[in-house]
Order: sequence, then structure tokens, then C-alpha cells
Amino acid sequence: MTKRSFSILIIIGLIATSFCYETNYIPRKPKLSFPYKKMGLSTRQAAVHLLSRFSFGIKPGDIELVESMGLENWFENQLNQNNAEDTLDKYLSYYDALKMSNEEIVNTFLPQFEVRKLMKDFGVLVIDSNFDKKENKVVVDSFMKANNLKLPQEYQRQLINQKILRAIYSNNQLREVLTDFWFNHFNVSLTKNQASIYVLSYERDVIRPNVLGNFENLLIATTKSPAMLEYLDNNYSISFNNTQSNNELERNIQRIRFKNLDINNDSSLIKLKKQRRDQGLNENYARELLELHTMGVDAGYTQKDVTEVARIFTGWSIIPLIKRSEYRKTFEKYRQFNLEKNGFVIDGDFMFKANRHDNGIKEVLGIKYDSSGGYNEGLTLISRISKNPNTAKFICKKIATKFVSDTPEDALIDKMSKTFMNTNGNLRDVLITMVNSTYFWDGDAVRKKIKNPFELTISAIRATNSKVLQPYQIFNWCNTMGQKFYYYQAPTGFPDRSDYWVNTNSLINRMNFGISISSGKIPGLFLDPNLINFKVEPESIDSAINLLSYKLLPESSNDINNKRILRQYTVEYANNKSMNLSNQILGLLIGSPEFQKK
Amino acid sequence: MINRRAFMKNGAMTLFAAGLGGVPSFIAQAANATKIIAPYKKNKILICIFQRGAMDGLMAVNPYSFDELKKARPSLFMSPSNKEGGLFDLDGKFGLHPSLLKFNNLFTENRMAIVHGVGSPNNTRSHFDAQDFMESGTPFNKGTESGWLNRAIGLTGHEGSPFRAVSLTSSLPRSFYGKNETLSISDLQSFSLKATGKNSLNNVSNSFESLYDNNNESILNKTSKDSFEVLKILNQKNINNYKAKDGITYPSSPLGNALKQLAVLIKMEIGLEVGFAESGGWDTHYNQGTTNGTMARNLSDFSDSIAAFWSDIEMYQDQVTLMSMTEFGRTVHQNGTGGTDHGRASCMFVLGNDIAGGKVYNNIAGFSKEILEDGRDLPVTTDFRSVFSAVATNHLSLTDNKILFPEWDGTMLNFIKS
Repeated sequence: MTKRSFSILIIIGLIATSFCYETNYIPRKPKLSFPYKKMGLSTRQAAVHLLSRFSFGIKPGDIELVESMGLENWFENQLNQNNAEDTLDKYLSYYDALKMSNEEIVNTFLPQFEVRKLMKDFGVLVIDSNFDKKENKVVVDSFMKANNLKLPQEYQRQLINQKILRAIYSNNQLREVLTDFWFNHFNVSLTKNQASIYVLSYERDVIRPNVLGNFENLLIATTKSPAMLEYLDNNYSISFNNTQSNNELERNIQRIRFKNLDINNDSSLIKLKKQRRDQGLNENYARELLELHTMGVDAGYTQKDVTEVARIFTGWSIIPLIKRSEYRKTFEKYRQFNLEKNGFVIDGDFMFKANRHDNGIKEVLGIKYDSSGGYNEGLTLISRISKNPNTAKFICKKIATKFVSDTPEDALIDKMSKTFMNTNGNLRDVLITMVNSTYFWDGDAVRKKIKNPFELTISAIRATNSKVLQPYQIFNWCNTMGQKFYYYQAPTGFPDRSDYWVNTNSLINRMNFGISISSGKIPGLFLDPNLINFKVEPESIDSAINLLSYKLLPESSNDINNKRILRQYTVEYANNKSMNLSNQILGLLIGSPEFQKK
Repeated sequence: MINRRAFMKNGAMTLFAAGLGGVPSFIAQAANATKIIAPYKKNKILICIFQRGAMDGLMAVNPYSFDELKKARPSLFMSPSNKEGGLFDLDGKFGLHPSLLKFNNLFTENRMAIVHGVGSPNNTRSHFDAQDFMESGTPFNKGTESGWLNRAIGLTGHEGSPFRAVSLTSSLPRSFYGKNETLSISDLQSFSLKATGKNSLNNVSNSFESLYDNNNESILNKTSKDSFEVLKILNQKNINNYKAKDGITYPSSPLGNALKQLAVLIKMEIGLEVGFAESGGWDTHYNQGTTNGTMARNLSDFSDSIAAFWSDIEMYQDQVTLMSMTEFGRTVHQNGTGGTDHGRASCMFVLGNDIAGGKVYNNIAGFSKEILEDGRDLPVTTDFRSVFSAVATNHLSLTDNKILFPEWDGTMLNFIKS
């Protein structure tokens, strides 16, 4: 080989590498280095802070583990999210919905009226009033059992319980915390009937696998998910502005002419014309995509942009999942004719209906989208807005607000946004930038966030090493404290601010929760006897207070004050034997202001 | 003037000290019981209901005489008729949705006024921005920290009860943000500490109170003070004595429950001046329906709840004005999924004995493309602040509109009898 051709090869190699770098960024091994010492924190204080932000609460032994591993190593281990889940899996094995596909869920968990319809079709019970008769309950039950049918309430129970169990028992806490965060960012809700049945797979298949990946992948997964398509109505947003649907109309007219039928009185033509007149665009998803999911309301887009985005997503919908439906039968018939050849895209439960897509030219934020783009228009749009600097800023601010402070510094957001832009939205690297920064370890951040009700309940369970046999009780408590999770109706998700969570009402219920959990008043929840009874009987009330405070409020700044008040309490309470004193102290600690913080 | 906060705090400390000294608990209870609430002057009361999600004002109160509207809404348009399912004709121009049956009575009694074409001068069609602007009262300033109802409380010029501003929601609404004390309570009945036994309750309560008192996190510290004040006052009142009047049934919806409890607070005479409640589900992008369906259900709930409330507070009606609001209206044209998308102007309902009711206040000029905003939406012809300020000035007797609505120099809408 000559010298010349060798150097050309090198140049080509260089071009190829740099090309690779830009289009297909491969993250370098993250360099974790936490500046907590610089910010005046001891290793133990820093471990507490790290755990309080990236887990659902500190379990006995956690701090010591993180200290001995090294904080950076613990975090890296959590980023790798491959810790075994023996305990969790055992608990989750009782919930059959967790392993089902959307199709299986939709066809298993039927509302009562669907069950009735089915029983009528099968000729089991034919007359409506018969269903309400007591003696027929057993008939209905055995029909459901024989056909492996269950009610949607059971599906919702499983969904809610699994979230609680994962938060308590998962060894991959960071992943669960992030799943909770991103679910809330891309909120969907059980309050919307049509979407509710898809929420389980949404969290499991759309959110959880993408929380430490690339933002664009996460975003496109939500766009195509049945839950989001239903929740923000895009499933019904369609257009007839394309050749296929015009041909469809033309074919119908020819059929009528060919058969010599009355063109003004043909029912399928009337239906088609009515559909063409009445059905069309819905802007709901387009607006929230820009406003809540990516760029933020102040990014400078207009009403026109919203409408154009909606046009781009016309035809993005769900394949028919109900096996017995007519729609499904039609779908299966057409599927044989290779729908893909006509521009349809089928990917899992997602379907791009080319014949319901607006084929006109669109323009979003000054960029034109050709009329022949079809499904790819949406992909291009998602890719562009994922890389928009407004999106980087909006997303990074939201992450920093969740994990650092209610009012994160602009300098921190800039730093994170820079990483976001440089790594094509690599969420793992964005997190590392955040934790590597001094802002994360600043006095303005440490113990300055207020736990939301879910975090409060789970952290109390973890701190007390409690056994939870009826997870749903925890959901009820969260509800009374103002967080009916999975049921937040608006697409904003729960506001992540202290002043949203702390109000006259919820505060009293947070105290009540403390009293209830410590006095055994929450059904199916059992405190670890070792926590209260102590292996060695405490020498005095003081040492009981000290021990419990140490376990529940490690590194609390308000320690001395708290202990003084608890001591006063116990002096006054000494004569009342109705309840174990240690339990009372525990209740006060869980309901105390320090335990509300993280 | 005795500062209420100092008074309450002293009361609490006395109680705490009594407990500490080993004084028998019945004395502590007696101390608690004597910490009676000052008798409050019968102030005027304003009840605000926020319809979140943007109510379609054109369906609720339908300007049916415009042909363009009929054309724009082939499957959503309704006409007046004496038959069931037709609109109630209000004035030959506007028709009330049949589900607002109970409003029709209040309207014909001249106690209810409707303001149509109302909204914000800021043309955002984001729910969350528009709600924020309407509740802060400053449509062009995102930085405003306080809510307009909080500023209203500050302008009353008198000391108030801890219950002067209560929101029956699980968290504090944006309208209530600010330096004046406001409360959110989602359920009066369950507002209590749940320790077993009276001794234990006092004890636990005192301990929590001092734990929170000694905490340096201001939001926890400040909020807990309100919580304990409210606890002490509610402890003296038996909520069951203030049940709804016989024959009155509230819908068992969030709005129905909230208004039922606001009625309890009014009847307790513990100094309520501003009450707040919410109603949801108005974001009807999909299958809105006409006489039946989502919108009809929402409207029934809305009017049945308000009508039940109004009858329930019969003895207090002269004190009370009720006003509804929603962040914007919906598109004139129905969309492709049997619903309507985000638009501009909507309508508001105002109810009270001092309201010049029986009239639809409006400047709606028509629905031709040139008239519509951006060629598609009912333009805002009445600024929401001209309605809010009229209620504040004429009902609550507040005088400083510059504090209430800085950056606004429009005129009040004149719909209150002087």
C-alpha cells in the first residue's frame, strides 16, 4: 500500500468516525465524581442525601451499604439497573395481569356490560333482569371463571398494588423512582375510560425500559402507545385528504353504478360521506406534545404550529385488540393484502393508517414537511423537537426540580441542557451531570424537598422494615393525603412542588398516617418487631428516643429540638399504658416535619 | 387591635404548658373549649367555582340565532323548543342547555346573570397558562406570585377568622396563593387527628404542634399553624348539626360535595368570606354530545350542585354571591371527533340576590370568519377582570382595583344592583 492511499484511508476513517459520532452517539463510560466533600458534607450525610433522592426511602442498613461501596459505585450500580429482584418477583407473582400483553388484558378484563353481552351471545343468560337476581350470581361467576374473564377493577387493583410493591421491594430503586417521574411527565390517567386498560403496559413497556436511555426513544414510545393515543384522543384524529380514501369513495360510487343501485340511497355510501363530513382533526395531543412533553409553553410556537402538528399525526392509531369485534375481523382480512405496501405501518399495538392521514404539505416551526412523508413525517417531527434546545431546557429543568430543588439554579439547568444537547438527549448522562455538579450537594438542596404522599408512605414502610400484605391500603392513604396516583386527570401530571403537597388538609392526614402505621391501624401492614421491641431493651426512654430517631431521621438537622419535645411527651404520657410508648414515639416521628422532608 | 395569630398562638401555648405541668387533662380540655372564636361580623361572602378544562360556552348558553354557528356545528347544534331536549329560550337570542334546567328558574327569578363572550386578553390556548392567568388576575405577567382572591382578602380592611378564605379542594388553588391566610380542606368531616382516647388525642396533638412549631421549614411551619387552628375550632362544632336542609340533595360529585361543605361553613357562622370549589371534565375534545353525553352530564352536575347549595343557604342568600369561571371557551367549529378544541371566549354565571339578573350580558357580534379570532374562535369581547372587579367592588365592597388587578384599567361590567 502506498503512503498516499494509506493517508486517504485514515481520512476516510476519520470522516466515518466523526459521522458515527454525530448520528449514533455511543456514550463513553460515565465518569462519576461527586463533589460532596467540597460542599461540606460528610460521607454519611452525602449517602443519606443520595439515597433520599434516588430511592423511595432509606431501609435499615442502606446508609452503611452505600458508605462501604462508595457513593459513586452505588449510583453506577443503580444506573446499570440489573440487580436481582428475588423478593419483589415473589410478591409480584400473584398478579397475573403483569405478564399479559395489551391484547390479553383487553380480552380478559371485561366490564360487566361486556360480560353480559357475551353471556347473551353464548345463550347462557338471555334476559337482562336475570343478571341482577341473586341466585344467578353463581352462574355469572362460573361463566367468568370458565372463560378466564375478570372485571376491570381487578386489573386496576393489580396495577396499583404492583407500583407499591415495586417501590417498597425493588433493588433497582433508581429505575423505579425514574419510572414514577417519567410516568408523571408523560401522564396518562385511569380517569379516562378508553385509556385506562392500557396504563399497565404503558408503564411497563413504554416508560420503564426507556428511563435511562435516549429521550427521543422515550418520546416516540409514548407517541405510539395505545394509552397516550387514547388519553389525548389522537386515535380518533383522522383526515380524508389522501388518494387512498378518495379512491375508496370512488370505488363505492362505481360499485353502485355497476350494480345499478340508487346513488342517493345507498347506506354504505351515506355512511362514508357522513364520516368524511363529520370526522377529522383533533388537536389535543399535538398541543400537549409541544407544551407539556417537549418544548414548554413559552417556546414560541403558535396555534398554527399546533394545528400543523395535529395534521402530521393524523392516522396514528391502535390496531383493533378486541378479538370478537367486527373491526378486528375487517383488520385481519385486510392484513393479508399487505397493508404495509400501501404505506400502513404496524408495530406492536400501533398502526399508522395511511388512508386516514392528511397528505397535504405541512409546516411546523418554519420547516416544511413534504406531502409524501406519511408515517415518517411524525418520526421526523419527533426527532426534530427532541433535539430542540427549548426541549433540552424544559426537560432538564423538570429533572432538576424533581431531584435537586423546587427552584433549581439556571446554571445547573444550563449545564444539564448542554449534556442533553451534546449527547442527543442521553438521559443517563444528564443525570450524571446533575449529580456531579455542586448544586446537587448544596445546602439549598439537602433536605429541602418535601416528600409527596407516595414517597412519604413508602419511605415510612422502608424505614420501619414493615411487611405489607395489603398494598391497596397504602393507595387509600395516598388518596386522603392528596395523591390519587394513576388518577390524575390533567396531562400535566401532579405538580412537583412543596406548596402543592403541603396544605392544611394533607398535613393533618400525614400526622394521622404516622399515628396509624405505628399503632397497627393499617390493615395488612406489620411493623418489624425488632424495630420497636429492640433486641436489647433500651435502658431508658431517652435511649429509645435516640435509637428511633437515629433509624428514622438519620443526619437530621433538627435532632435536638425533636428529642426535647419527644421527651416532654413521654414524661406526660408515662402513666398511660394503653399503648406501647415506643410505638407512640415512632408515630410522632413519622408524622413529624423532619420526616416529611427528603 | 389584637393580632389573631398571636392570640391563637398564645392559646395554644397555654394549653401546651398546662399539659406539661401535669395538670389533669380535663383542665386542658376546658382551656381548649374556652378558646372560643370571636363572633364575626356578618360579612359578605363570595363563592367562586372554577370549571377546569374550558367549558364550551357556546353549548351551555347557545346564541342559537346565528346561522353560521349552526353550520359550524352540524352535530352539536341545538335549538330552543318546548319539547324535552330543546334549549330554554332566554331572550330570543340565547338558549340555555336543557341540562341547566335549574339555572333557568334562577334566571327567570332575575337572580342569575350570564356574561357571554368573556375571557382573557391573552390568547394562550394552554389550559394551564390560561388558568394561571385567570387566577393570578394578571393575564400578561407570569411572575405574579399572589392570586386575585388572596389580594381581595387583604383589601377587606378588617381582621378575619381563620376560615375567611376556604377552598374545598385537596390542594390550595392558584387564586388563593399569597401572604394572606387561606385554607384548603377537602373534607370537613374527616378533618381531625385520629388518636384513640381524649387524653391521648390532646397529647399527640400538642406534641405534633410543638414539633411543627420548632421546625425551620417555613412551609411546614406556617401550614401546620393553620391546621391546628382549624382543628381547634372544628373540635368545638358538631358538623352533624349543619346538615343540608330536608329535601335538598346535592349530587354526589366533587362539586356537589364541595358546595355542601361550603354551605356548612356558611351556616356555622365562623367568618367565611371567600369560598372556592372546582368542577372538572370540561375538556370535551371527543364525543361532547348534545342532550345526552359528557357535556350534558357535566352541566347537570354543575347546575344541580349550585341549585342545591342556593336552597341550602336560604337564610344567608342576601350575604352570598356565587360566580363561575373557566379558562377559555372552545372552537366555534366542531372538530373531527364529535367534540371541540381549545378556543377563546366562554361564558360565566353569576348568582345572588343583589345581581341584576335575568339578562345575558354580551357583545357577541356574530360568527362570520372576519369576526372570529384567528378565523376560528369566539373573540373575547368582555375581559374577565371587568366581571371579577364588579363582584369585588359591589359585593365585597373592595375599593382598590389597582391592587386587585394591576396592569388593568378597563371598566367594570355593571350587573350588580346598587
